[in-house]
Amino acid sequence: MAGREPLRPFVLAARFFRIGALNELQYRANFAIQVFQSAIALGTGLAVLALVFSQTTALNGWSEPELLVVMGVHILMGGLIGMVIQPNMVRLMEDIRRGSLDFVLTKPDDAQVLVSVRDIQVWQAVDGLTGAIVIVFAVAQLGGAVGLGQALLFGLAFVLGGLTIYCFWLILTVGAFWVVRIDQIVELFEGVYQSGRWPVTIYPGWLQVSLTFLVPIAFAVTVPAQALTGRLTLGTLALAAGFAIGLMAFTRWWWRFGLRRYSGASA
Amino acid sequence: MISPQTSATSSEPAIRVAGLRKTFNVPVREPGLRAAVRSLVHRETREVRAVDDIGFEIGAGEVVGFLGPNGAGKTTTLKMLSGLLYPTSGQAFVLGHVPSKREAAFLRRITMVMGNRNQLQWDLPALDSYELIRAIYRLEPAAFRTTRDDFIELLDLADLVHKPVRNLSLGERMKVEIVGALLHRPQILFLDEPTIGLDVTMQKRIRSFIAEYNQRYGATVLLTSHYMADVQALCRRVVVIHHGKILYDGELAQLGARFNATKTIGVTLVDGEADLSAYGEVISVEDGRVTLRVSRAAAPEVAARLLRDLAVADLTIEDPPIEDVIERVFASGSEAP
Repeated sequence: MAGREPLRPFVLAARFFRIGALNELQYRANFAIQVFQSAIALGTGLAVLALVFSQTTALNGWSEPELLVVMGVHILMGGLIGMVIQPNMVRLMEDIRRGSLDFVLTKPDDAQVLVSVRDIQVWQAVDGLTGAIVIVFAVAQLGGAVGLGQALLFGLAFVLGGLTIYCFWLILTVGAFWVVRIDQIVELFEGVYQSGRWPVTIYPGWLQVSLTFLVPIAFAVTVPAQALTGRLTLGTLALAAGFAIGLMAFTRWWWRFGLRRYSGASA
Repeated sequence: MISPQTSATSSEPAIRVAGLRKTFNVPVREPGLRAAVRSLVHRETREVRAVDDIGFEIGAGEVVGFLGPNGAGKTTTLKMLSGLLYPTSGQAFVLGHVPSKREAAFLRRITMVMGNRNQLQWDLPALDSYELIRAIYRLEPAAFRTTRDDFIELLDLADLVHKPVRNLSLGERMKVEIVGALLHRPQILFLDEPTIGLDVTMQKRIRSFIAEYNQRYGATVLLTSHYMADVQALCRRVVVIHHGKILYDGELAQLGARFNATKTIGVTLVDGEADLSAYGEVISVEDGRVTLRVSRAAAPEVAARLLRDLAVADLTIEDPPIEDVIERVFASGSEAP
């Protein structure tokens, strides 16, 4: 299984990325639309940020360039979700509903890996790129105080955050094995994800907890941003790692449980 | 050309099934709002036996037709044999594996083709999808190309594999799909209605390709089809299933003898039509040709009498069309409790 060959998911993802690129390159208009959308989103975000800082110089201890980092991470993670996680989960929901998951399950490869990498929206990389540029720009404004250690911490926190969000999505999507129509979770998630534009620490306590453990936006955006702005404590990183690993183990079990339901093994 | 692959050891059957059952719990409720509300609280389910205690063995290299009306349990059985469905009880072994474990070594050696579904990328030429299949099955590039080009030539697909799949006709799409399903040269083929909706020429093409694949690689084929022509062309043996139970398992040629006790005799007389009702049941009289239905046992004797008593220009003894026989098999199954 995947455990014996840790790189296999990436090999497959690269293959599917190629197919996704071939698919999308046929539609250059999609690229233009994506650039346009990313530009609008970026412009709106910058305008809101400027508006806030026309009234004050710091928000709950976060300066303007620091909040720009948060925004950059938010856009970057959003790009990753839009490129890999969301399209695959939407497709999985469809396949469960129409019964076309059979083709995946008869392949001699880990089915969870296959359903997680087979649909890749290439143009969403524009969002990823935009996010990266915003981060670099913001870090430069911070005075370039980001060392190699911090950058590595950021990388680690970002990967953990990405995995956490992926698990969150898959856990909800596997629900389609029982409840057939769960399309609404896409819009629901997009709405909640917008709250990640700001560090979750500015929200009241109950909301912070919800945005950390219920919808893990804190781990996906705030924690990586903390790494870049010198706020990340080892305790938080350990919590992020522990949560990610625990969630991955649960997701694995949950996925298999769902499959047993699909094949009637649990009945 | 590729040399034939040796398939599973000849002593062990490729597929062995014993006492296999699959029951589904389906929710039932009376029509109407009141019943709908009641079912929110107390959901009543009914047990449906899709497959009910079936057993058979299929040898390596055999091509077996799986016949039955809609809902007979054919697809459920195929899904259990390919590891998609978990049996409620009973045993199934395919190439020595338990399908429901879905081991990679097992999945690498089987394929499933569903006539009404497709797995190739809709917007891309089939060749790109084939590359993806190569990566998933980890096929060695040189061997993969040889197999692929071989199949492309066999099915005359050279022009089609470069076009996006969405631009292909239904039949063309099925051809490129089948190639995609066989690129890893599976030893067991589960074909669920592979020719559904196709025109006669295309059906023939697919059929002869399956026959060719079976011959070359000694692969075992389990086929369901609504088209008797498919079954007659490909399968010597058929398994007839109805209401989840096996009604017949044996040679297709023997099916008629077992379930159909009649033959039809066609007679053309030298001096035109005559009343032949004394010889058997007259089914039709057309253009001077009389068709009689007689019991299978009496057929030779009736024919001899006809030849002796009358001036016969032409006489044929035939089995009724296989469709009629199958209908009789199903009818006999329905009568059983």
